[in-house]
Formats: sequence, C-alpha cells, structure tokens
Amino acid sequence: MLLSRFWYLILSFALAAAAGILFVAQGFYNRHTERWMNEALSADASAVSWFLKDDARTKAAALLPVSLTPDLREALAKSSEADEVSKEVREKARNALTKAAKEIPEDSKFFAIFAVDADGRVVGQWNYAHRDDKDWNLGGHAVVADALAGWVRDDAWITDRGLTRIVARPVERDGGGEPIGAVIGFTIVDGAFAQRVSERTGANVAFYFQGNRSGAATRPSPDSDTEAFKSADFDVMNSDIKEAAVTEDYTQKGRSLVRRPRQDVGLVYTRMPGEVWELGSGYIVARRVTLLPTPLDFFKAADQSDKDRAPQTVLVAIAVGLGLLGLIFSIIEHTLPLRAFKRAAHEFAVGKVDTLAPSRFRGLYKRIAADVNDGVDKVLSKGGITRRAADLESVIGPLPAQPQMSAFAVPDAAGSAPVQTPAAGLPRAPERKAPPAPPGARPSQQGGLPRDEPSVPVAKVVPKPSRPGAPAPPAPPPAAASANSAITLIGEIAPASQPMSAPSPVDELADWKLVYEEFVKMKKQCGENTDGLTFDRFKGTLERNKAALVARHSCSAVKFTVYAKDGKAALRASPVK
Amino acid sequence: MVASRRRAWLVGALAVVIPSGVLAATVKGKVVNTSDLLNPVWNEAKDPGSHRYTFREPSPSVPADARILRGNLSKEMCIVVLGEGKAEPLKKPIRVVVEGGRTSHVTLVVAEKQEILFENHDPWDHAIYEVTGKGGLTRGTMTPEKAGSESHKRAWTPPGPGVYEIRDEISPGLRSWVVVEPRTHKALFPNRKGDFEKLELEPGTYTLAAYYSGKQVGELLPLEVKAAPAEQPLKDPLKAGPDKKAPEKKDPKDDKKDPAKGGG
Repeated sequence: MLLSRFWYLILSFALAAAAGILFVAQGFYNRHTERWMNEALSADASAVSWFLKDDARTKAAALLPVSLTPDLREALAKSSEADEVSKEVREKARNALTKAAKEIPEDSKFFAIFAVDADGRVVGQWNYAHRDDKDWNLGGHAVVADALAGWVRDDAWITDRGLTRIVARPVERDGGGEPIGAVIGFTIVDGAFAQRVSERTGANVAFYFQGNRSGAATRPSPDSDTEAFKSADFDVMNSDIKEAAVTEDYTQKGRSLVRRPRQDVGLVYTRMPGEVWELGSGYIVARRVTLLPTPLDFFKAADQSDKDRAPQTVLVAIAVGLGLLGLIFSIIEHTLPLRAFKRAAHEFAVGKVDTLAPSRFRGLYKRIAADVNDGVDKVLSKGGITRRAADLESVIGPLPAQPQMSAFAVPDAAGSAPVQTPAAGLPRAPERKAPPAPPGARPSQQGGLPRDEPSVPVAKVVPKPSRPGAPAPPAPPPAAASANSAITLIGEIAPASQPMSAPSPVDELADWKLVYEEFVKMKKQCGENTDGLTFDRFKGTLERNKAALVARHSCSAVKFTVYAKDGKAALRASPVK
Repeated sequence: MVASRRRAWLVGALAVVIPSGVLAATVKGKVVNTSDLLNPVWNEAKDPGSHRYTFREPSPSVPADARILRGNLSKEMCIVVLGEGKAEPLKKPIRVVVEGGRTSHVTLVVAEKQEILFENHDPWDHAIYEVTGKGGLTRGTMTPEKAGSESHKRAWTPPGPGVYEIRDEISPGLRSWVVVEPRTHKALFPNRKGDFEKLELEPGTYTLAAYYSGKQVGELLPLEVKAAPAEQPLKDPLKAGPDKKAPEKKDPKDDKKDPAKGGG
C-alpha cells in the first residue's frame, strides 16, 4: 500500500500546492490590479488636468481674433470714455461680437462671449440674453479684472448653467496702452464637454459642483462589456464625495488618493482651479477593475478567450495520466492482493487447501491469513481436531530455490500417502494423542501457521518416520491418530516432545545421508531428474533450513522426512525441541 | 431807500422760506495716492497658491507698465463726509447691486440704523451673508431678477457701529464691507480717476475720509462749506495714501518675478 499511500500524499500535496498557487495568484493579481488602477487613475487625473489647462489656452487663443475686431474695439473705446453706454455702442459691439464668434473654430467654440469696457460693464454679448440694454457689470470677477489689466487667464464659476469655465483676454487700443476692455468666453461644463475631455484623454471623467454631477462621459465600450466603466457607475460618488472632500490630500493638495467606494470601482477626486475651487467643485476620474474575492473567482472573471488560451490538452493529459497512475497503483497494491486473497480464500473454502499460506500474501492480507488460520485451528482444537503440519515454506517463508528441493510440503493430514522417511538416527518424537475430531471436521493440525511469538505452539502432525527402504506407512485416520504411535507431535511445546534430545552432528549427518538417499530415490520414482543433486548441495540446503527453523522456533533440531507431493519429491521439516 | 429796504426784506423772507438744502453747495474734489489700493480678492486671485486659474500670463501686446492691476475706485472706494455729531440715516434704503463678482459698492459707509437693500443683477443665484454671523445678515439665496418677484432682493440694517464683511457662498470672489459710522453725513463714490463732482453739502464744517476695503485709508480732510458759491472745489485733494517722492518706474524684471505668471 506504500505506493497508493504515497500517491495519496502526492495528490494531497499537489492539491494543496495548486490551492496555494491559486491563493498566491489571487493576491498577486489583486495587488497588481489595484496598483495598476492607482497608477492609471493618477495618470487619468493628470491627463484631465493637462487637458483643462491646454483647453483654456486654446480657448484664450481663439478669443484673440475676437479681441482684434475693429468694430468691437471702437465700441469698447467709446464705452470706456462714457458714463452711460449708448444703444448704438451696444448694438455695434453685439454685431461685431456675433460676427467674430461665428469664425471661431469648432473645437474652440464658446457657449457665450461677452465684451466689457474698461469699467467692466457688459457692452455686448453673444448667445446670452441678460440685461441686454441695461447695465450689467462683470468687472468684479478676478478674471475680468486681470483681463482689464492686460492679463490673459482662465477661471471657473458657478453660473445659471452650472459649472462654467471662463477665459478672458484684454482688448487693446490700436496704439497700445491700457486695455479698453476685455472679451470673456463661457464654456459650460456639461456632458458634451465631459465627452470631449474623455475622448482626448481616454479617461472616464465626471465633473461635479456643490456635490452634484454636472457632466460625465466614459470611454466608449460595447454594451456587452460588463467590465467597462459606465456612466451610471459614477453614481457611487454620491455617497462618497462628502467623505472624500474632507480628506487631507483633497483639501490641501487638491486631489484625493484613490478611493474605493465600491469593490470594483476606483475614483480620484480633483478640485478644479478657479472660483469653484472653494465650492466643492472638480472632476472625478474613475476606473473599474475586477478583483477576485476568492481564488475560485478566477473562473468567473475569465471570459471564453481566457479559457480557450488555457492548455486544455495538457491539463486533460495531466489529469488522465495522474488518474491512471493512481489506478495502476491501486490495482497493484489493492486489487491484485485482494484478488489473490480472494482466490486463496476460495481454495480454502472449497477444500483445495487446508490453510491460507500467509507467505503468498502481502501486507495486511498476510496477517489476515494468519488470523484466519489461527481461528480455524482454535475452532478445530476445541473439537479435538488437529490440522496437518504447515508447509515449511509457510512457516519460514520462501526457501531458496533448489531443483532437488523445489517443494517443502506437509503431507495431507489425511495421509495422502507421501513417502515419509524420517532421518536415520533421529530420536522419535513421543507420540501424542490427537484430540477427538468433531464429526465432519477436516483433518488439521494445531499451530501450523507462522507465529512471531515463540510461545505460540507450533503443532505439526508428523507421520512416524520410516526406515530406509521401508514402505511409507499409510497415514492413519485422524480419529485414530491418538492411538497410532507413528504419528508424532513435534515442535509443540508439550511434554511429549521434551524427551527428545538434539542429535549429535555425526548422527545428524548420517541421518541426512539417509534422507538424501531417500530423496534421490523418491525423485527417481517420481521421474525427476537427479543430475547434479549431490549430497553436499543437499546437505547445504538442509543446514540452511535447519538454521532457519532453529532460529525461528528455538528448537534444538530439525527432522527432515521425504515424501511425494503432487508427483514430485518433497522434504518435510519438523522442528524438534 | 424804500427800494433797498424792500430788497432786504425779500432776501430775509427768502432765507426763512427756502429750505436750507437749496442753499447747499456742490463740492468737487479728487482723491489721490490710490495706486497702492487693490481689492484683496484680486490680490489673492493672482496668487498661484490660491488655485484660481490653470494659467495666467501677460498679454504680449499690452505694455508692461499698463499691466498693473489696480482697484476700481468707482466701485471700491467710498468717500465719507463726517459731520460733527451723530447723523440720521437716510429715509430710503441704500441700494447695493450684487453683480459681476462684487457689490456695486465694495465698501459702503453708512450712518447708524441705515437700511441697505441688496439686489441681485446677475443671471445666477447669490447667497450673501455677514461673516461673523453677528450682523444679522444670515445666509440666504437671492435669485436672479424676475418680473414681479422680490426674491432677488434682500434688505438689511446693520445692528450698530462697526465693520461688517459680506461674502457670497456661491461666488467666493465677492467680498464687500459695510462700515457703520454714526457721524456719516454723506457717502459718495468717485469715478475711476478719483474725481468726485456731485457732493452737495449744506454750509458747515465737515471732515472728508476715504474708505477702502472696509477701512479708512489716508488722511482725514477737514472741509468747510460755505453758502456760496454754488460750486466749491477742494483746495487740497483727499489723500488715500502717503505721498510718494517720485513716481514709481516699473522694473521689467518684476514681470518675470511675478509668481502669478506661472500656471496654476
């Protein structure tokens, strides 16, 4: 299960890493998006500021031809000298102003133009009806006073049309000297103006005064573009502008920091130069961004083109590959051992084998097999039935492969007539009576399973060893095992086995010689090839097996007997205490 | 003899019957030393730090010595005739027009309990108020002039002697002063050159004073009006500032040093 568990671990780490990467990516994206938005908004605010300045200069330049109109200069000169402005002078100034206004380039058109004399009295006006033939003085405004003193400048007022940008320049005499008047151009800051600003600067911009929006325009975008900033998004300023207007940056520097009245909208408020500076007037630049509250919002925010750009083939291949790898690991470590266990259990169930060989299984199945065997043995022992000795291989695990000793098997407890030849000179184990078997119980042997605990008895039903040349006695029926002296319990920590003493090395060697001869004979009887099966090699195998058994069972000796199993010669090993 | 007696009786009778105003003389005079007077609003407005413009630059065709921002005396200076005792207010309110970024009289000196009537002549709203809030002229909107409507007017009587500064919520550049001087016998406004010609005063002793931006400026000028002749020009001008030894010559470099030339 190591592979599977390791695989789960890898998958867990991979999933955690992917989630971590998403979180990092989300934070990175949001941080950079906000940074980009802040920089973009700052650039937008500066661009609008530059545009307003440039526009004011352009408008001032557009007023120059107006101020040079001869009729207008003549009218203003007369008016400046008189206490009262005559109708003729007013008419002359108005006509001159109207003619000059029409020649202003379209980009620099004014909403209205006024001509004032040196005293600030409105002598003529174009496109603005107010006290046409009565006195109206504009000279108190600083921009007009400056123009009458020979300066060109701009301003911004709140008029009946809302936020209004003003440009004024002096009107001079032919021969120079102090100005005889000034021309003043009005530009209403409305939606059209905002649109022009937006087109020139690329900014989403809205103008406001006294907390009210006076004109807004956004960059053109298709209606389907839900991420684009719309004019309606400027409504967020309604609830934010009061708070923004009291911030230190706004009041002192004239521009607020980036404000986020809504998660996806950033605003920068900038005060507009002019008289309106103190009237809570200015402009807003805004941008809309998509921030991700959670990493999963990447998928919501991504459009189809983003999804199409993802390496889908690679992603599918990774998913399939990793999935297959996991399945393979699962099959190898789970399905195959389970099936092997299932097969063995089935064989056990139908009686093909008497025990589950733990050595054939891996991992937990080995323990399950041992527990099943133990359970069966205990149940049988309660009924007085013992199972035959366990396969040596099942006891000590896989043995070294030897062509002559390919199988160490325990003869069937029912005495399936293996040729059993105890080693010569080995003392016989005392015979033990087997408990009575319950009706229908299978012949069995107690303790025939590998145990890690040495105190657990290892009982093996061993037929009485036969002498060389003697025919193998048939195995006695289990019921008669207790009475049959040929059946000996060996390896069990039982009184009966205590008298047995370890053979001397000389006796053991002689005994192994006999076993060897019987083994060769048995192989020949079974039609097996005995070429190369020398006694030395045979002895070496026995010594290794003996050592393994002695170490495992703390026995003093091991007795080997020859028998036939499945048409092949085999050796049976029995630990002797 | 009889004829001369009759003439004397006739003159005496006329002197009793004809109101004293008929005998008033017209005083003509001039206010001088006004070159340093400038509306503080304009001074502030040319300062780049006040953020009143995006650009302000001299017109290249206007000579530098003509590009001097000066106060408009006809609107901003008030010449006051102070009597020897407490003067009575005029029966009719003094009309002050609010238009074009200022009031028609930027500085107005009145006697106690004189009613002032403000009228909005601009096509947009104004909302004038007295700065300290103690003068009784609270914030109130004056709409544009409309036929049959009085909403473009506001009447106000200053509560007592003192200087009251008036400002406008909608037009921050508008700043005016009303000075209540109990001895104010008359107030008049010169033309842009500083001349005043229509000061009609009854024979008597007065003091002339010039007020600018809510303050008395220059020297007080004693004035004695006689019954005749009808026009009595002042021997000395009313000085609104100290005498200057020599006329100032404008340094061309001043234009370059003028911080107001920069952009806002």
